Amino acid sequence: MLEAYGSAIAYLFGNPSSFLLIIFSVVWGIAFGSVPGLTGIVGVALLIPFTFVFDPTAGLLLLSGVYVGSTFGGSISAILFNTPGSPEAACTALDGYPMAKKGQAGKALGIALASSAIGGIFGTIVLMLLAPPMAQFALNFGPPEYFALAVLGITAISAIGGGSVLKGLVAGLLGLGIATVGLDPITGTERYTFGNLSLLTGISFVPAIIGTFALAEVLQRAGERTSTADVITDVSTKLPSMKEFLATRYTLLRSSSIGAFIGALPGVGATTAAFISYSEAVRWSKRPQDFGTGVAEGIAAPESANNSAVGGSMIPLLALGIPGSATTAVMLGGLTIHGIIPGPLLMETNTQLVYTVFIGMFIANILMLVFGIRAARYFALVLKAPYALVGPAIVVLCMTGVYALNSNIVDVGVMLAMGAFGFLLRKLKYPIASFVIGLVLGPIAERSLRQGLVISDYDYWDFVSRPITAVLLIASLVSLIYGFYGQWKRHQDAQAAKMAAG
Amino acid sequence: MLSLKTATMAAFMAGTTLAVPAALAQDYPTRTIEVIHSYGPGGGTDRFIRAVGVPFEEISGQSMVPISIQGGGGMPAYANFQQRRVDGYTLMAISPDQIIAHVLGRIQMDSFQPLARVQYDQGMILVPESSPFQTIQDFMAHARENPGDLTVGITNAAGFDDTVMGLWNIETGAEVTTVPFGSSEMVSNTLGGQVDAMHEEYGPARGLIESGDMRPLVVFSDERLPVLPDVPTAVELGYDVTLGRWRAFAMPADADPAHVETLYGLVSEAVATDAYQQIQEQAALQYRSVLLGPDEFQAFIESEIEVYTRVLDALGLTD
Repeated sequence: MLEAYGSAIAYLFGNPSSFLLIIFSVVWGIAFGSVPGLTGIVGVALLIPFTFVFDPTAGLLLLSGVYVGSTFGGSISAILFNTPGSPEAACTALDGYPMAKKGQAGKALGIALASSAIGGIFGTIVLMLLAPPMAQFALNFGPPEYFALAVLGITAISAIGGGSVLKGLVAGLLGLGIATVGLDPITGTERYTFGNLSLLTGISFVPAIIGTFALAEVLQRAGERTSTADVITDVSTKLPSMKEFLATRYTLLRSSSIGAFIGALPGVGATTAAFISYSEAVRWSKRPQDFGTGVAEGIAAPESANNSAVGGSMIPLLALGIPGSATTAVMLGGLTIHGIIPGPLLMETNTQLVYTVFIGMFIANILMLVFGIRAARYFALVLKAPYALVGPAIVVLCMTGVYALNSNIVDVGVMLAMGAFGFLLRKLKYPIASFVIGLVLGPIAERSLRQGLVISDYDYWDFVSRPITAVLLIASLVSLIYGFYGQWKRHQDAQAAKMAAG
Repeated sequence: MLSLKTATMAAFMAGTTLAVPAALAQDYPTRTIEVIHSYGPGGGTDRFIRAVGVPFEEISGQSMVPISIQGGGGMPAYANFQQRRVDGYTLMAISPDQIIAHVLGRIQMDSFQPLARVQYDQGMILVPESSPFQTIQDFMAHARENPGDLTVGITNAAGFDDTVMGLWNIETGAEVTTVPFGSSEMVSNTLGGQVDAMHEEYGPARGLIESGDMRPLVVFSDERLPVLPDVPTAVELGYDVTLGRWRAFAMPADADPAHVETLYGLVSEAVATDAYQQIQEQAALQYRSVLLGPDEFQAFIESEIEVYTRVLDALGLTD
């Protein structure tokens, strides 16, 4: 292994231009991540033709740097405009934007950046040290385990409700319900499309999230007519102080671990990792009711998880040749063009390539800190403009961004409808976070439940009695009961306090 | 009626194709040609278009780029294709998925002018290293004794893989159960032993076969693959299953016949280059990827529609 690192370092210093490539790729990635509609996947796909002129190692360095940069980049626009620049950052908006609205945009960006770097480095270290055993362990996760994992994430919605378990559950169930529109994942038949073929795509998660977050926010601000009242004033980007940083250390550790592991599971990636670690942050918090109002853990959790998932999703790609996420699937295509056969032998036959990429990702995460601060500063300047100009610009970005993702005009319609729906949810004080978690995790839960039942021949006991599945499902049940108990207890305490006062 | 007309037209054109492309290259194409497809960037079809695109650009001076519009059973991509102007600069990459959508009544195949079928892949059934089944005979013996017990991972519900496995069930008279996954989960669930086997083409599975993590049991083709001389074909076992995933270009039905002619000439030149052939060999696609021109491709599409209709009817997927 040391020999492998030796040859990797020799490669990097033998090709000093590779450092330039890493710098370029991180900046490119941050730019693609931060602009809605240009995601990391697009950033990687656009660079693939350019990798033809490089050797495969330089090519993969370039692509992995973009992946690292774009995963952080999305959080900039999520925090400043409530418009996630990439799907991975959707969860960051839940607490990032409220914190920015409180006049602490700088602090929010700083936490996002520091958490991203910590998570990214954690994920890279896991990738360096544990890739083959992690990849083997992830193979134990079949459909029942995926289902249990998704259920565990979904049950946290009861804790998010802003005090009301009922409203949290209703919003979550709406999310689950809307996610069923489109093609049935197992039989391929049409569901809730009312014969309209353009609904076959279903309510895709990105347009739904941009609608409920960004568009609904603009609608609400327009309705409030307080264009100057709550302007985001502090846009400097300070890294959090040591004290603030230490306060989130457990969240960072937990979320980075969740991120690396979920990243390593094929088929689910950084977005799922961000939402599940957010759910866990809420569950383990002493003050779950504060989530959604701009708490540090609410930013640290998704940001460390999604960046850690970058390293994680490289694990199955390099150890088994199976992409762990949509972006690594594009990278796999890039590798194949270079004549490299992805598979379990890759780490043995292309040692130098693999280990150079490890080091490259490490450097990329550190560079992200340097360039992230700059990028955030430039973006934040937009906030100095009056909202009467920024608001309409966000609406335009929402529309073009959603269309650019998949050139599908139906998605723009979905985004607009979801904007109105999100506005309604806010007015009625239903938590958007629960709705979105239902929408993101629902399809994973449904698909894996039904895959698992087909495999077990509809034997439910066979399904739940698998050890990992059983543990995760029991944890979900306990968490759900505890959520109701917590609310009942808070209610009792409030009653008692009232009695004592009266 | 329409398809008959196009077929005659195409037959006429095919005769004159080889001689003209260089002369016509002056006034068409004069700008980028966009190829719409319904798969992810970096996937097999995306790479196929890029692979043809590189020599295409050298020959014609114009680039050919893939436009990925995913999801919805290929409907959004088809809708986008139909909304575009018919000016010779929009193509669609089609595959058995369009045949299936046609059979299910979602699209009309006669809205395409077939241009060229380029790749013709061959699928196989693979089991993980730990599987008790060493040969396809072991596998099928178990399937016969325990109908529906064996699970085979596939990609996309009611898509191409489902059709192939459905035909396999019809031909063998045994029953294996298909479980639809995303392509990477299909591989991980098979490696992890969650399902008994999977259906995949040689190219994507090559790394896993070479490392010994997966064992191909049967290949769906007319002849054995030279790289896998010990793996029998379904045909030699007496089951007529040769359905393979093919990748092809199509233009809108009312495309200018002169454009069809020119473009087919350019594509066939591009496909003949060493650069393209090399990429094709890396994915082990060279064995039965015979280039079909507009008229032969039309005939091929018609025979495919027949086969798919039969299988999908038997699977109870058509109304």
